[in-house]
Amino acid sequence: MAPTEKSNRVADVLIVGAGASGLVAAKHLTANGFDVVCLEQGDRVDHGSFWGDKPEFELMIQKLWHPNPNVRDLASDYPIDTSESDVPILMYSAVGGTTILYGAHWQRFMPSDFRVKTLDGVAADWPFAYEDLAPYYAEMEREIGVSGLAGDPAFPPGEGPPLPALPLGKMGRKAAEGMNKLGWHWWPAPNSIASRAFEGRNPCALRGTCRNGCVEGAKASFDLTHLPVALKNGLRLVSGARVREITVNDAGLASGAIYVDRNGRERRQLARTVIVCCNGVGTPRLLLNSKSAKFPDGLANSSGLVGRNLMLHPYSTVIGHFDDWLDSWRGPAGQPIQSMHFYETDAKRGFVRGAKWHVLPGGGPLGGPPKPGRPFDEAWGESFHRNRESVFGRSFEWGIMAEDLPEEANRVELHSTLTDSDGIPAAKIVYNYAENTKRLSQFHLARATEAMEASGATSVTVRPLMTDRSEHNTGASLMATGHLMGTCRMGDDPSASVVNQWGQAHDVPNLFVYDGSVFVTSAGFNPTGTICAVALRSVKHLIANRRDQEAAA
Amino acid sequence: MSDIIDDELRRAFVAIADVLIPAYGDLPAASGADVGGEPLDRILTLRDDVKATFVRGLRAVVGKPADAAARALNGSDPTALAAIGLVASAAYYMNPEVRKKIGYPGQDSSPIDPNAPPDYMQGNLLQPVIARGAIYRPTPGR
Repeated sequence: MAPTEKSNRVADVLIVGAGASGLVAAKHLTANGFDVVCLEQGDRVDHGSFWGDKPEFELMIQKLWHPNPNVRDLASDYPIDTSESDVPILMYSAVGGTTILYGAHWQRFMPSDFRVKTLDGVAADWPFAYEDLAPYYAEMEREIGVSGLAGDPAFPPGEGPPLPALPLGKMGRKAAEGMNKLGWHWWPAPNSIASRAFEGRNPCALRGTCRNGCVEGAKASFDLTHLPVALKNGLRLVSGARVREITVNDAGLASGAIYVDRNGRERRQLARTVIVCCNGVGTPRLLLNSKSAKFPDGLANSSGLVGRNLMLHPYSTVIGHFDDWLDSWRGPAGQPIQSMHFYETDAKRGFVRGAKWHVLPGGGPLGGPPKPGRPFDEAWGESFHRNRESVFGRSFEWGIMAEDLPEEANRVELHSTLTDSDGIPAAKIVYNYAENTKRLSQFHLARATEAMEASGATSVTVRPLMTDRSEHNTGASLMATGHLMGTCRMGDDPSASVVNQWGQAHDVPNLFVYDGSVFVTSAGFNPTGTICAVALRSVKHLIANRRDQEAAA
Repeated sequence: MSDIIDDELRRAFVAIADVLIPAYGDLPAASGADVGGEPLDRILTLRDDVKATFVRGLRAVVGKPADAAARALNGSDPTALAAIGLVASAAYYMNPEVRKKIGYPGQDSSPIDPNAPPDYMQGNLLQPVIARGAIYRPTPGR
């Protein structure tokens, strides 16, 4: 049966995906008079359903509110095969996207991140520089109410975030004192968490539940920050809409999308322009699923790079254990402080690029689920209590976010047999750590251990890069970032990139990609701040050039 | 009690839970924190994904001496013992008395005082960082 049109109104713009970048686009397009439809496979999230203020919090985040879709296994999730990946994939399908569960580390990249080829001879330069993006960083920081402190010497001078930084707390102060002993950089970290009441959001109450849903309404999830304005401006949001393919017309222009609604009916939405914002896994999956006579290898894929160059920010960490009571279940989580002391390349270290460090709290007493098969006397009996005594309330981590360099072999591809619940081919991840990453991680773990010791840790637990793929979907491990980047990279050369610097597909002039897929390199920073700044820059260009924009009739 | 789990399995659970979580200092054993009562029903309702494995484990140990049975189950069906351990430890740490004794108020609200001087400004903590100056490489040619 042919798909039915829910409305025969042809949208000026169809946005696929109501996450951070999609809602940035929706807000600004609707504010400028565009008729916009946004299709989102997930649902609106009732923030009252978060567990952060309830005794069952730690129990529930192991399943229903786990960031791994393979663990949650909700109707709105699609399965992801990571059996050939060193790293599991984290994301959340909902209106607001992964910002519902993100840690809200709101980072800028550093100037060198956009010039890694020029400066370090690796990967490729971005088609624009830090200075080109800086105004959009600043505008986004104001739009969402970032808390932070101006003057971080790791960045060029600027106005700084609009709200004061969140407190260091006992953990952040302990970490900072250690860094000062060593003469190493640290700074109060930027978070998209309101330290003061901000445009309808409440101030943070330091519950430390940011990554599993903020019960305070303090965290900038985009269903709170951008959706209300877009809806007020006339956005037509369709949730529970799983897009099967982007359609094209005889001229090779994107003409809309076919999607499956929650009742299993196929529907069609027509549009003059299409923007894909499904994240670094969902976007290549959709484009590869959008095969046609004109585009037999998937849409916008003449370069063969759709799905290639996947970057995931390999993660390792050093946990310090202290005699002092540090209230270490408290937030922000979020990050109280960060360090870029070992961020820039130093050839003497034997690898290129570096990593951002951040302090994270140690969490509650339950922690993750028990690991099956652990020796009985290590886990249970008196050890149950002793293990808690040594960790709970007295430990925090230096998280190490390694810059991941693009490699074509690391990729998202369509699964040959696995599908989602609507029969749409699922994503398979093929991803292996680079040798550079392994050396980088070893170096940083050694330095972070020194930092913990300088802070007075009585012992440390070193968690290196995850290697046991059998642990991906157990719900136990969170040694992954959920940063999904690079799979539709931007650039000037159509043979070496999928989209241009404005997110416009080289092959399809009215098709755009605005999410982290467009990243040329990953930097070593949490990406949402840059995803949004790039999306804002792109959509403002689209708005400014609307009269010249080629569009499907 | 509800019909989420029958009394025989409930008793088996409490016995195993006391092996996994014995009394310690001023902390009660699992049974002293009522892990086999209402919290058990609530946990199995909220986390029905663990129930089948949990029950499988209890059926394997019911009627056997708890200590030896728990150790044996860890070898023969470690996933089941982990499920029992998860339910026991979750119920234990949800208990208000236990929370009080270990110093955990839950993920409680700790509002930021907007009038207090920022803690990062106290004791000149940031001064050495500022004094060392910029640590980034600028964009070439800009």
